[in-house]
Amino acid sequence: MKGNNPMNETPIKVPDWSAGKKVMVGELFLGLYQPSPETTGFWEGVKRRELLFKHCECGQFHHPRRMLCSVCSSQKLSWKKSTGIGSVYSFSEIHRAPTPEYAQTVPYTVGLIETGEGVHFFCRIDQGRKTPIAIGDKAKLDFRVLESGYQMPVFITHD
Amino acid sequence: MNTHKLARSCAIVGITRAIGLKTDKEKKTPLQLVVEACGELFRTTGIDRTKIGALFTGRMPRSYFTLQYSQSVLNELKIAPVISTEVTSHGGGALGTIELAALALNAGLVDYALCVTGEASPIWIDMIGGSANWEADLQFEAPYGPTTPSLYAQSACRYMHEYGISSRQMARVAVENRKWALHHPYAAMHKKGEITVDDVVNSPMIASPLHLLDCAPWFPGGIASAALITRADIAKQICPNPTYIAGFGQWNTHEWVGERMGTWNVEPVKKGPSMVRTGAKVAADNAYAMSGLSAADINIAETSVPFTFANLLMLEELGFCGEGEGGRFVESGGIDFDGGLPFNTTGGYLSFGQSGQGLYLLKEIVDQMWNQAEGKPIAGVENGLVHGHGGPLGCHSVMIVSKNN
Repeated sequence: MKGNNPMNETPIKVPDWSAGKKVMVGELFLGLYQPSPETTGFWEGVKRRELLFKHCECGQFHHPRRMLCSVCSSQKLSWKKSTGIGSVYSFSEIHRAPTPEYAQTVPYTVGLIETGEGVHFFCRIDQGRKTPIAIGDKAKLDFRVLESGYQMPVFITHD
Repeated sequence: MNTHKLARSCAIVGITRAIGLKTDKEKKTPLQLVVEACGELFRTTGIDRTKIGALFTGRMPRSYFTLQYSQSVLNELKIAPVISTEVTSHGGGALGTIELAALALNAGLVDYALCVTGEASPIWIDMIGGSANWEADLQFEAPYGPTTPSLYAQSACRYMHEYGISSRQMARVAVENRKWALHHPYAAMHKKGEITVDDVVNSPMIASPLHLLDCAPWFPGGIASAALITRADIAKQICPNPTYIAGFGQWNTHEWVGERMGTWNVEPVKKGPSMVRTGAKVAADNAYAMSGLSAADINIAETSVPFTFANLLMLEELGFCGEGEGGRFVESGGIDFDGGLPFNTTGGYLSFGQSGQGLYLLKEIVDQMWNQAEGKPIAGVENGLVHGHGGPLGCHSVMIVSKNN
């Protein structure tokens, strides 16, 4: 019966940034960017500079926070490290930033990276080759501290 | 098909709106606007609060945060419905209110259903600074600094790549929508004059490939709309010209942009995930099938998508042209103000402005049928189609309404 006692459960470790960042809509406080129990594993990985996807026993990778495999309906999913290899699937170069903290960086690019695991990962994409970011560009994983003040997984294009 | 029995079984017998502007001396809340629209509906139809059996509201307004929003409306109007709820799924929920009304009426639960939407965010909230935080996943997307246009742009990027759509083709939508807005007294761009394709493609880049004029401006105020729905047999007794609900469909596929490629093996992504194809096609196909009509029968069409490229895409999804043909369709005059399909006849989100218009787009079609359009009148409207969209191309409702029973 030991396992049924909630007091015996290991407290969930949250990454440093889980103190949360205020999300404002004008003067309205909307909430915090804050990991929740189903996502802390992902952010623990980010602290170690690892990109983790949910991996199902059937072999399918998912992102983000999948709790039920949409291929086989299994709930036996675990965090598995991505190889960090991918290519640009879609992108948009932002010229008008959402808030002053991002305005210092414009233009910057957000987009979807199709990873080797078959996951389409939304992130910041930085240009790492001479030619501007384009669909199909090869890209590899890196970690950057972004304007939000937090370290985030990003992808960098390369030749 | 089972759903066919719903076709033309119900009708709109009254539809009203209230508009508040940022520049009004006394600024109005969404609840004030909702009450104003409902009050006018009760007075003009003669069906007051005591006869309303069902109340369905659109989503809680961003500028009126309250849990159990439909209860706030019910409480203020002092109606006591046997069935009521708030219908979400973003802007798709506006038409969802009418769909639920049709179901409740057909089930014999009620005789009269009140459907109401309202929003006044641009009056009360900094929409430009804060809007991306509504549209992005707070944990996995927002920290990268996306804006709303940059989220939709992921689809624009793939749409152009997969189908060879050009910026100039996209721009044509903004050009034609603007012409309608010049005739509408409340359109955000009413006094801004015509624009050209060059104006659009030379306007500042906001989030590639979307320029300033590829994006909807905010409506400088708020709008509430209220519709009274009843069964066709009752409608004929109390209304000289009911607008029949000929067909409807709804199809939602995802919430966040970053989740979109994680859905497959259901329509419309049976074969594999897509950043382009949307549930609007499935919703439209179902609405057409229910109504017995086809795109060729439609005399007027409205959509709530807020970007040029998405309008092209919706012309495809709603059946007005084939897959990948949206660009060529508008280039060859398909939605021309002069002679094309009347499309976004209030000016659309691109020139009327965005404000969670909800049922106001449906009202425009009914108004055209009842010869009381607020903007440019269109002769001979028999059948109209309205598309309610929400989330970054995630939620879609389509409704076809008809003068004919």
